[in-house]
Amino acid sequence: MSLDQPSITGIGSVSPFGPLRGLISSKEMEPRTVTAWPTDGVRRAFLVEPFRPADIIPGLKTRRLDRLSVWCLVAAGLAIQDAKLDLEAEDRSRIAVVLGTGFGCIELTESFFQSIATNGYAKSDPIIFPEGLSNAPASHVARIFGLRGPNITLSHKGVSGEGALMQAASLLRTAQADVVITLAGDTLTRTMYEWFEAAGVLSSACFGQRPVPVPFAHDRDGFVPGEGVAVVVMESADRAAKRDARVYAGLRSGHATSNQKAAPNLVRKTIAPSSPREVKTVIASANGSHSHDQVERGILQEVFGAGVAVVAPKAILGEFDGSGVLRLITALSQTESKERSLSVLFGTCATGVFAAVSFESP
Amino acid sequence: MDKNSGLVAVTGIGVISPFGAGFEAMCSGLLKCRSCLRPLTIFDSELESAPVVAEIRDLPALNDHAGYRLSRTDRLAVHAALDAARAGKTATDFQEGGALIATTVAGFAEILPSIASNPARYYHAGGFASVTAYPAYHPADAVGEWLGLHGPCWGVTVACASGAVAIALAASSILAGEVPMMLAGGSDALAPYTLSGFNSLQALDPDPCRPFDKNRKGLNLGEGAAVLVLETVEHAKARNAPILAVLRGWAMTNDAFHQTAPDEHGRGLAQCITQAMAMAHVDPGEIGYVNSHGTGTPLNDVAEVKAYETAFQGRSAPIPVSSTKSYFGHCLGAAGALEAAVTIAGMRSGALFPTLRLTDPIESPAVDWLAGEPRPRQLPLAMTVSAGFGGSNASLIFELPDRSV
Repeated sequence: MSLDQPSITGIGSVSPFGPLRGLISSKEMEPRTVTAWPTDGVRRAFLVEPFRPADIIPGLKTRRLDRLSVWCLVAAGLAIQDAKLDLEAEDRSRIAVVLGTGFGCIELTESFFQSIATNGYAKSDPIIFPEGLSNAPASHVARIFGLRGPNITLSHKGVSGEGALMQAASLLRTAQADVVITLAGDTLTRTMYEWFEAAGVLSSACFGQRPVPVPFAHDRDGFVPGEGVAVVVMESADRAAKRDARVYAGLRSGHATSNQKAAPNLVRKTIAPSSPREVKTVIASANGSHSHDQVERGILQEVFGAGVAVVAPKAILGEFDGSGVLRLITALSQTESKERSLSVLFGTCATGVFAAVSFESP
Repeated sequence: MDKNSGLVAVTGIGVISPFGAGFEAMCSGLLKCRSCLRPLTIFDSELESAPVVAEIRDLPALNDHAGYRLSRTDRLAVHAALDAARAGKTATDFQEGGALIATTVAGFAEILPSIASNPARYYHAGGFASVTAYPAYHPADAVGEWLGLHGPCWGVTVACASGAVAIALAASSILAGEVPMMLAGGSDALAPYTLSGFNSLQALDPDPCRPFDKNRKGLNLGEGAAVLVLETVEHAKARNAPILAVLRGWAMTNDAFHQTAPDEHGRGLAQCITQAMAMAHVDPGEIGYVNSHGTGTPLNDVAEVKAYETAFQGRSAPIPVSSTKSYFGHCLGAAGALEAAVTIAGMRSGALFPTLRLTDPIESPAVDWLAGEPRPRQLPLAMTVSAGFGGSNASLIFELPDRSV
């Protein structure tokens, strides 16, 4: 691991497993029945159970914030604790925040639309409006923790989480920050669920008609939506060593493309100079959809043949655009080993975007 | 090491703005001090009176791509990207490149409030396809689709600092060797949603805005898009591309202060400006012009002046500053990119564009307010400054190529 390698030194999350500090070690989760909005029969998804944020981060005030902002604050607080970062002693102008999300604060955006539907455009709700902006979660993380470095929110379909990891690494490598609080996630709302339903992309498991399909399995019939946020604290390996921080993994490289034909070479480029046979685990993006999983399987087979372990965390997390970091911290617990090993986080979505990020165990 | 190593070149500039389609239309409008601010006509805002905006009335047509739905924001982004790419030497010049396109509105303009009451009914009644263009990544994706880009196409959304942040991030990616070329900028369309939001915040000036004037009353929204083609100087020279400007430095900071109000002392913005100058290895005295954020809101403009007083301490003369939002309003996610294009336009035309309607400026010994007519001035180095809700700040420093390349 080189001295300047971006390294993960703290982890926090809010997921169907609840708010957690560190890796997610559970391997089983069943979708829950949707009760947050009226449904025509059973509707299921991998949902985050309600909790009191101040029970997790004492003193945290989250009234009137979007759930995505709340979860980002809680998960960031847990990750900072996990990294044992003493923010009072840090130069917080050198700490950046990067959020990857597909849909941002969609819940309050819907509320704002509702306020317009109810009261008209001339009398919409001034408190909701700014809280519905996609960068609100990252801004609140900066404000609550006093982080004055670059503050970036980016989005790119199903690889939004992978994008956040790459952008964080770029900020560290170009010395624009010493530490990056890297967040990724999305919330599930009625408008999204019913859009998926109208599009016919949901598994019959969402309607209670069968167990959740296994990604890549022959009998897969669509995905089950999910939601959650994961946060990793990233800093250089050198900095982590100097403060004697635990390193979960080092980010070696990351790339993205919009060209399916270029995806196999993208993966090879991401693991270079290692060869595919040196990769221990691929953390797949597979979600149970026919086309999505088929495309991904083809790419992985072309690069790795049959000689690599593939884990598919969406089987227990569900599908959402900002899932990349949550998939990573779920899979890392399964790939922890005493020997140095190389893993690849692979992201894709049906509309043709591909990302690969390689990680080395410390 | 090559003296140009580590420098990012601007080799294309594309704009669609209330001045019309194309970078040249914007330059011409600026030089004529033409204000584009007038009452909204392109849709009914349903506010008490038609708000004063800067709108694009005749959006040129685009060739459709089968199965791909474009929002108005997407169309603006694609127009600007195609304008920027005109300088490409071959059809495949941009193929290995990517896009970083900022937005705050994205596809909001296409969605009706009734979606929130009963989404399933909304989709079945014909709203299904309109939602595909909703996400913040869609303008970047559309640019990738229309230009055939194979690199990453990221959406960036950092409120009103988005456009400048997109350019900074693209430059970082290029210098880190992650991608050879990026089309970076921002796009936002006028939308009932955002007009309603800013109206609810009582931030809209009912008349054409007056940034930095003591009698300012708020902002006017605008729409448009600007996209820069960025690549290393070496890469540009290797493909014999024209170098229009060099991005010498940039910085991004956050106030960590308040969701909608800036730090009243402008500390985060001052630090951003200082960091950008440090990256560019220039002194405050070397910056010839600042294209400000200058929204015309009471809080922003005062905080911004404080930032200039801090960051430009030690200059022998006040720093020339103007806000070109007085011409084409606040274009939100596109603002930082449009103002980067304006800054380069000023450098290339040797003119400092004044703030329109600035008759009684905020008093500051540190600032040389540009008002009245364009001021002829050779500008080797100029800066653009952006800020946004959530406390984000971004600053870009451009240089004319004959000095550094």
